[in-house]
Amino acid sequence: MSRIGVFTCHCGENIGATVDCAKVAEMCKDIPGVAYSVDYKYMCSDPGQRMMQEAIKEHKLDGVVVAACSPRMHEPTFRRAVANAGVNPYMCEMANLREHCSWVHEKGEATTHKAADLIRVLVEKIKHNEPLFPIKVPVTRTAMVIGGGVGGIQVALDIANGGHKVVLVEKSPSIGGHMSQLSETFPTLDCSQCILTPRMVEAAQHPNITLMTYSEVEKVDGFIGNFKVTVRKKARKLDEKLCTGCGLCIQKCPNKKISDEFNEGLGTRTAIYVPFPQAVPNKPVIDTLNCTFYKTGKCKVCEKLCPTGAIRFEQEDELVTLDIGAIVLATGFKLMKTDVFPEYGYGKSKDIIDGMQFERLASASGPTSGVMKRPSDGKEPETVVFIACSGSRDRSKGVPYCSKICCMYTAKHAMLYKHKVHSGKAYVFYMDIRAAGKDYDEFVRRAIEEDDVKYIRGRVSKIYEEDGKLVVMGADTLMGGEPVEIRADMVVLATAVQSNEGSEELAQTLHVSYDTYGFFAEAHPKLRPVETNTAGIFLAGACQAPRDIPETVAQASGAAAKVVGLFSNDELTREPIVAVVNRLPAPAYSHCVGCFLCLSACPYQAIEQEEIKSRSGEVIKTLARINPGLCQGCGTCVATCRTKAIDLQGFSNEQIYAELMTL
Amino acid sequence: MEALKQRAIELLEKGEVKAVLGYAKGTGQARRAFFARQPGQVDKLVLDEACTQNLAAYATKHEVKKLGRVAIVAPPATQRALIQLMAERQLRDGDLAILAVDEGAIKELGSAAALEEHLALKAQGLDAKDKTLLAKLDAMSREDRWAYWQNEFSRCMKCYACRNSCPMCYCEHCTMDCNRPQWVPVASHSIGNLEYHMVRTMHLAGRCVECGDCGRACPVGIPVHLLTISAEETVHELFGQRAGAKAKLDYALSTFKTDDKESFIR
Repeated sequence: MSRIGVFTCHCGENIGATVDCAKVAEMCKDIPGVAYSVDYKYMCSDPGQRMMQEAIKEHKLDGVVVAACSPRMHEPTFRRAVANAGVNPYMCEMANLREHCSWVHEKGEATTHKAADLIRVLVEKIKHNEPLFPIKVPVTRTAMVIGGGVGGIQVALDIANGGHKVVLVEKSPSIGGHMSQLSETFPTLDCSQCILTPRMVEAAQHPNITLMTYSEVEKVDGFIGNFKVTVRKKARKLDEKLCTGCGLCIQKCPNKKISDEFNEGLGTRTAIYVPFPQAVPNKPVIDTLNCTFYKTGKCKVCEKLCPTGAIRFEQEDELVTLDIGAIVLATGFKLMKTDVFPEYGYGKSKDIIDGMQFERLASASGPTSGVMKRPSDGKEPETVVFIACSGSRDRSKGVPYCSKICCMYTAKHAMLYKHKVHSGKAYVFYMDIRAAGKDYDEFVRRAIEEDDVKYIRGRVSKIYEEDGKLVVMGADTLMGGEPVEIRADMVVLATAVQSNEGSEELAQTLHVSYDTYGFFAEAHPKLRPVETNTAGIFLAGACQAPRDIPETVAQASGAAAKVVGLFSNDELTREPIVAVVNRLPAPAYSHCVGCFLCLSACPYQAIEQEEIKSRSGEVIKTLARINPGLCQGCGTCVATCRTKAIDLQGFSNEQIYAELMTL
Repeated sequence: MEALKQRAIELLEKGEVKAVLGYAKGTGQARRAFFARQPGQVDKLVLDEACTQNLAAYATKHEVKKLGRVAIVAPPATQRALIQLMAERQLRDGDLAILAVDEGAIKELGSAAALEEHLALKAQGLDAKDKTLLAKLDAMSREDRWAYWQNEFSRCMKCYACRNSCPMCYCEHCTMDCNRPQWVPVASHSIGNLEYHMVRTMHLAGRCVECGDCGRACPVGIPVHLLTISAEETVHELFGQRAGAKAKLDYALSTFKTDDKESFIR
């Protein structure tokens, strides 16, 4: 006969307010097999855990049901407590009285009865539980960082400085990300490139960091500590070892009229190019879509001129497979384009630009060398209107969230403009000013008070062109909704921050969850903000939600600490919740008939073939075998198997059946 | 017929096969499976309209496998079953000499590739009676169809003839025989009967070769073959593939493809 203990937790008011916990504890005493039942205010607290351990010893309990919150948070807590009292931790089960009962029902008799039923089910399950033992797996001490912006660079440097190898994968030809495009940064107005480029060089020269620029992650297999990542190294059409970065090919390339991505379309570049002069690595790539040779089969000017003969027109993409122990996602964001705003003329006017384009106009390395010129005719704009929340906090644009960085950078933009054009007028239309952060509000006040930026609280309903001016029609809600009309020379839309191109596909490749907007989901919003629900995969920066630079860097260091912590282990222990193919005495050997329909069902490639041989080496039967190191315990094979030859440890057919039959 | 007999004698005399699995006269008009082990027994073989049983169901049996290489008389549905069994690794390529029967002509196929090629030329079809009944069932409302099957299953006595006749029901330990735990009650009771037929249908969806043997095997005349055939047709509609077409396993229900219609997810 089992000796099971039931521990009912009030979870403060969470359960106690709706469920009569004392009565539940009383009711559970009558369940056959239950030797002890008690309730307590906070079972997860130190006295709660101690009470549980003492009861286990005193009443010689061999199984424990903790009726409390969701196992997501505290199952490890209680399993550890049970293990410390000398009982196998997998003989502890949690009944979720909070999410499954108290939070979803009104206070009453029926609610209390349901709570007791939830416990009863698990008591029956525990009677069929078997002691399980954690699985040990080795760790590959090499991390992969996906995304080479400021976040990715910080993660890579921190892990590398911790003494571990890092592979930094970036899809564009240079690392640096959005930060390398910025002119100056809030709230200190220090030059973005001046603080970033030394970091880029440091990352490139660090002995522990391998840069893989112009590369994308293609496939990820394996699991924490033992990932196998396939990276596609896109063909630069260049032998990187021979190229010295002299730049002669770029100077002489006849194809000079290609819209420049780095300058957000405000400048031009050649077909063979480096994104910006401070690029790391400083090696060009050939844009095969625009290169004359790939279009017409003639040209090859760069090849003829290259002093080291580094050009390789025939170079193909290369697939590299790497052994990786942990992955950090730092893939950043994208800005909403100006062409989705019908009220602002679908961005057709060249002088309606987005925030990043303004950064390029204000940047010393930009297309105007930092001189304020409006894109349409190159004139100095005398009046500039900035519109915050363009797309953000707007359900009709599919972005109900706040993009977080726009209030700050709009204040910065207005300030930069006023510093460059002293006689100019700057107006900011805003909904609310959200300047929470160290020195942030002071920064916005400075724009208003010292730099005389006119802040108007209200929305802009329409912008149209008239006599070379942009007429901005808005309302001032602090003046009772009075209509405001401003004849501007340039309008800057602080467009919404969105999840990056291809983030959903990447999330699917890595089996990482993501939200409705394509941002990667953290494991717990408060307590595990840099981890994903997939063990061994971490997050940094704006790929998780809109973030500014200080937050991104802080989170990056946090993720790096998690990776270094992981790498400090010699081996990892994994939950033994894995599927197992049953084995029987000869001549059946197993219920498995070796049809291998489960093979394609397994999302983790954990199923292999096992041959049962006679003493003379003759194959008697071929069975499926599940590699416990790869199995994630999802149970798909269990459902696929027609003969029920596969069982999930901890969730076996017999356990589930016992649970169902209790109700 | 004569060509078949002649080839059978040749195969047995040369020792290329240990037995020829074909049809012989049974009780009355019925035909039964027959193993000709010696050239002298070949005379008992018959091949006519009444030879409908899917002999592939024997090919996976231990006793047959132990014999060594066997020749099997295979009308189109049997051919489909054989190739599906190869895909599911129950038969090895080359284990059988397949005497394919198509409109009276005999063609010997020694390998999976040859069988695959041969099958690609053939269109599969239901017989007229089944087609009419299936159309009638499809036209019914959900409630009427439910009532129809409930009524049919009320006659089921769980003799498992449908299971045993099926070439794809080769599991050594059927879920129905699983008693730890006993998910499906063994007694022939309305609940257990319904569960049994639902499980059988789902286990054959994407695997049914549409031979109709289960329906013919039923001693009380329940058209159980329409369940698996209609499941197979649904799989074909949704995923554009059929069981028994390829010797390489491509099980629709455990494979995800980006162009899957997924119209059933609502």
